[in-house]
Amino acid sequence: MEKTKMIKNPKKKIGPAVTLIYLFLAVLAVIYLAPLLWMLCVSLKDNAGVMASPFSIPTTFQWQNYADAWSMGKLGIALINSVLVCGVTLVVSLLFGSMAAFAIARMKWKLSEAAHTFFLIGMMVPVHCILIPLFVRFAKMGLTNSRFGLMLPYITFSLPMTIFLLTSFFRSMPGELFEAAAIDGCGIYRCFFKIAFPLCRTGFFVSGLMTFVNNWNELLMAMVFISDPNKKTLPVTLTYFVGPYATNYVQMFAAIIIAIAPTVIVYSLFSNQIVEGLTTGAVKG
Amino acid sequence: MDKILRDKKAIFIFIAPALAMFVVILVIPIIQMFYYSLCDYAALTPPKFIGLANYKKLFTNDSTFRMALKNSIFFMIFSAITQQIVGLLLAVFLTNIPKGRNIFKNIYYLPCVLSSAALGLLWAFLFNPKIGINQLLAKIGIEGPLWLMESKGFIVLPMWVIAFVALWQYVGQNMMLYMAQITGISRDLYEASYVDGASKWKSFRYITLPLIKPMVVTSLSLNCIGSLKFFDLVYNMTQGGPNHRTDVLATELYAEGFNYFKYGYASAISVVLLVLCLVVTVVIKKAVKVETYEG
Repeated sequence: MEKTKMIKNPKKKIGPAVTLIYLFLAVLAVIYLAPLLWMLCVSLKDNAGVMASPFSIPTTFQWQNYADAWSMGKLGIALINSVLVCGVTLVVSLLFGSMAAFAIARMKWKLSEAAHTFFLIGMMVPVHCILIPLFVRFAKMGLTNSRFGLMLPYITFSLPMTIFLLTSFFRSMPGELFEAAAIDGCGIYRCFFKIAFPLCRTGFFVSGLMTFVNNWNELLMAMVFISDPNKKTLPVTLTYFVGPYATNYVQMFAAIIIAIAPTVIVYSLFSNQIVEGLTTGAVKG
Repeated sequence: MDKILRDKKAIFIFIAPALAMFVVILVIPIIQMFYYSLCDYAALTPPKFIGLANYKKLFTNDSTFRMALKNSIFFMIFSAITQQIVGLLLAVFLTNIPKGRNIFKNIYYLPCVLSSAALGLLWAFLFNPKIGINQLLAKIGIEGPLWLMESKGFIVLPMWVIAFVALWQYVGQNMMLYMAQITGISRDLYEASYVDGASKWKSFRYITLPLIKPMVVTSLSLNCIGSLKFFDLVYNMTQGGPNHRTDVLATELYAEGFNYFKYGYASAISVVLLVLCLVVTVVIKKAVKVETYEG
């Protein structure tokens, strides 16, 4: 057994060039991971310890920092706000996006290509362009300082990517599927909800992950539309810790760890799907 | 079959929600933005039409805006060049190593999915004058510069620091895009070239480079538009300081609009930003000619 394996996979010669590449990649990996691990270390020290020797490994773990950051920075409520805003945005943009994508990909009408292009252009528009007009209108309608008001632009800006990814998923489905369903007397809505919807699970998953990551990290719109501390999302809450007078570093880092933990977890579980979303989105564009 | 797929009412019902959101949240505000940019409009008074006066002031009489414009353009050019080169290099390296491709790939892409607001705080701390990197430098007898507070030079030091942090954070995206494109190239092409005696470099130059051209357009446009829109890292690392020296278009727009409530003036800045984005996209599309290859 051992022997056949040896013969089948003779050890590949690793040349000096490949060794150099590995060395380079390893150094780079350290540059990527060190700041993140270091942040974890600092978040477990006390302030005096950070000032004295910021790069040493903590001797005693100050878990208290997390509890303090949690209450000081109002992270609990911020976490709930983030989950709420991102969750609703996710569901609604997937629903609206898949409906539009289905009509574009599968139904026959003159303007379907035009509609596809129209939604795609949305991907290029910087958020900054709508900030002021939307803020003015939302202020008049009482939609500033409301989570619902924040969801509206989030959903809108998630739609282009969702529609784009899902259109390519729907197009890749075999047409006979819908024909057979139609012959059996299945209406268009049932075709969509009972056939296309369940078959597109991968598509939903991939575009859902992209939507979640983007909105979870969004800062500018959240800063503009929300000023009530009880309605702020996580990234905005972190800005409490910015500025020359912010000196409570250990708490700041504990807060940062709490804020990035969900995306780190999601990424380590589903990195392949996230990458797939990024690349299908770009390759087919 | 055809009949139910041509059902006009169903098409309308499917498209309507997305379309409505687009029109209300995107299209109408963009039109309003153009109108506001031609108005004298502060928060409490209604907009008053003043023609091109905002633009005139922007380009002739506003050194902060010129600084922001300069920084944004510097940042775009720097990001475009460095991220394209490093991203492509990493993609080529990773597609050529026998083992460990996924581990490295996932590590380099990690910061792309993390909140740049959070990472900005982290780097601001590391580049703090007394603690962080300077403390390490002091140990080996070097007095580190004031990384984020230096205000001399055409492009100030903090801007370079931010640009490198952005490179660190976002280069993974280019790497991923190029890796996807390179792994899509047929192995046969490379094998044929080795049979013909081509070196690694030659096969890179004559096979890989031409075949990834379509991706250059996408990834370069994403790069450039992304850097023009750039806000989070600057806001959390320097807030535009010292003395507006690291302001970019997005932070300047935010300050004029939401610190000073000059809605008209800030709208003019966002028009400039939108126009820049459109121009850059068109230029890249025209400049990188994509030929189609058989194979």
